[in-house]
Amino acid sequence: MSVETESPVLVEGAAAGVPAAPVPEAEPGPWVSARPTRTVEIVRRVLRFPHVVHEHRDLVVTSLKRDLAARFQGTVLSWAWPFLQPLFLFGVYYFIFTELLAQRFPDLPDSQKAAMGVYMFSALVPWQALAESLVRGTSVIVDNGNLIKKLAFPSELLPLNVVLASTTTMLCGVAMFVLATLVTPVWSAPGLSVLWVPLLLVCQALFIYGLVLFLSTLHVFLRDTQQLVAMFTTVWMFLTPVFWAPQAIGEKIRTWMPVLSANPAYHMVQAWRGALMGDLVVQFQNGPAAVVSAADVPWHLAQLALWALVTYALGYAFFVLSQRRFADEV
Amino acid sequence: MAAKSLALEAEGLGKAYRIYGRPIARIAEGLSFGKYKGHREFWALRGIDLQLGRGASLGLCGANGAGKSTLLKVLSGTTAPTVGRYRVGGRVASLLELGAGFHMDFTGRANIVMNGVMMGFSKRELERKTPEIIEFAELGPYIDEPVRTYSSGMGLRLAFAIAAAVDPDVLIIDEVFAVGDMYFQKKCIDRIYAFKKRNKTIVFCSHSLYDLRQFCDLALWLDHGEPKALGDSVQVTNEYTAFQRQHIGSAEDLVGAKYPLSPLVAARGRQALPQIRDARLYRMGTDEECYEIDTGASLEMRVWWENPTPRETPIHLGLAFMRADMTTCGGSATFLVGVKLQGSSGCTVIAMPDIALLAGQFLVPVALLDETGVHRYHEYLLPENLVVRNYTREFGLFRMDYVWSQRDDLPIPTTTRMVNQK
Repeated sequence: MSVETESPVLVEGAAAGVPAAPVPEAEPGPWVSARPTRTVEIVRRVLRFPHVVHEHRDLVVTSLKRDLAARFQGTVLSWAWPFLQPLFLFGVYYFIFTELLAQRFPDLPDSQKAAMGVYMFSALVPWQALAESLVRGTSVIVDNGNLIKKLAFPSELLPLNVVLASTTTMLCGVAMFVLATLVTPVWSAPGLSVLWVPLLLVCQALFIYGLVLFLSTLHVFLRDTQQLVAMFTTVWMFLTPVFWAPQAIGEKIRTWMPVLSANPAYHMVQAWRGALMGDLVVQFQNGPAAVVSAADVPWHLAQLALWALVTYALGYAFFVLSQRRFADEV
Repeated sequence: MAAKSLALEAEGLGKAYRIYGRPIARIAEGLSFGKYKGHREFWALRGIDLQLGRGASLGLCGANGAGKSTLLKVLSGTTAPTVGRYRVGGRVASLLELGAGFHMDFTGRANIVMNGVMMGFSKRELERKTPEIIEFAELGPYIDEPVRTYSSGMGLRLAFAIAAAVDPDVLIIDEVFAVGDMYFQKKCIDRIYAFKKRNKTIVFCSHSLYDLRQFCDLALWLDHGEPKALGDSVQVTNEYTAFQRQHIGSAEDLVGAKYPLSPLVAARGRQALPQIRDARLYRMGTDEECYEIDTGASLEMRVWWENPTPRETPIHLGLAFMRADMTTCGGSATFLVGVKLQGSSGCTVIAMPDIALLAGQFLVPVALLDETGVHRYHEYLLPENLVVRNYTREFGLFRMDYVWSQRDDLPIPTTTRMVNQK
């Protein structure tokens, strides 16, 4: 009788799945130390960010999907929400500004009321993306404290996720806008200027991302940030020509125009208007009007791009400097 | 092999947490550009030097708050060291908490991908591994239900299954599988064993010194953030146990009158609890210590013990032979056979003629038990394992008594009898 000698220890786990592949010798990684982050490293990381996104693209895409799904999954209207929301907002603001506050635009002819509404809506959509990102994004690092403490992953992707999610919902609003201009005679459909949209999206997202990175990092150390941001966002909205036209403001305020136009959101909404509406004028009864010009788009876009790059670089640098302390503070 | 490249290396590693009295202190400190110091420092970890080769396994032991988790956090890269430096060769996976990042409203299947990409895996890799993960987690149809509906055990199984699918070079595990039922624990332990067998590096933290000796070749004993002993896991854990035992008496000083100690400890004050002084194996009937035998040899174990209060704490003695995968292959205890340990100290001998264990290496734990045999006053692992050799080709755990014979007069039974058939 022949007998096979069994190995004394039989481990089930080894048989159950993982193949016993030979282990290649891995090179030792870089030293991780307490040394303060050098300027060179900050610059390198600021420049390398696209690489990080590419490397973790699965994480970016998955968390974006999850974020959107979490917001709409389980609701009755589900994916109708990102389309209904801007529509509802538009209805509310339109009613307030053109009907309730008629004295605000005393010269607005009845025939132009709808046009003025569309004019507002075209800025409200990108503004909403900005406001939503700021309000939701400021607390994103603190809210995900448990993840940061327990998993080593690039935490700069958390604010990115917020920005991408609000940009995606914004695109639903843009689609609604384009659809509305196609089916109603109020405003003509966008022309060739709509080709600016992709570039505009990138600049806008970069700008918002830089801002959210800065604010969410600050919020880790100073928990008052969220309250301040909520207040500041409201003020900022009224400083930005969402519900008013730069050409239609009074003489007294007009002298402040250079200051008011030193506002990245100003360039953002005006660029969107130009891109989505082309050349149009809402003529008031006597004189000043809301003017939209496709020719202004490159100028606004350039301004926005400059703001975006500076905000992103500063925000990211601040993030990199503070990142090592996140796990201890959240 | 290990000398060529180290899997993990740390030099003077330390971590201090900043404690701010008030939020305003943080702002003041930030605005003063380092001139004003508004925080106190709490050193959770200091002076850690480590050099782990490939295939090494290091266990961390120490009391609560000794810095075990902090060290794991620093090494896994979730928090930065305050002083010193470290580096890791290859991919690191850390299991600091099971299920960190689970999204309750999503299905188990969706969470596999979400959790996995968080750990740095590609979606494709995860999709390939999903069947394996589902199988390991044994969730069956529940995998397509929201995680919210899972029992805590199911959640843990899924979390561990995802983490186990990860195939890193260095695995850092906090005491995560101390939860869950026995069956699940066994599965986790097997998986980690398999991992170890493939020459990967493990850093592991546990309050179970037994697990620690089982898994780890090396152990690091941390005390108030500082390394107290680093070396062979059996030696270090024995030292740690001895230290704990010396200090259990002085626990009263620490907790004071505010939290009364258990009546037993309180009544005994600073006196030592029942304790094993030493235990050794000898070739039976001789004074020759012996840890390598052939099957069928005879041994005796001598255990020197002391029991300062024999009247209040009657004690019993137990021993076992355990294979490396935790299978107890044999054992006995005095309360099972009615032997008494009398007096305040003594030496008890158990003679074991004709040991039937077949080839293998066996751990020999000895324990001082209370009169019920449940509570263990002291566990003592023999510093050396018992190595048994045998030269027959019998297989299994122990040698059976048997007789083979040929009986041609027995016919083949014609009907198959069914048992329990109505």
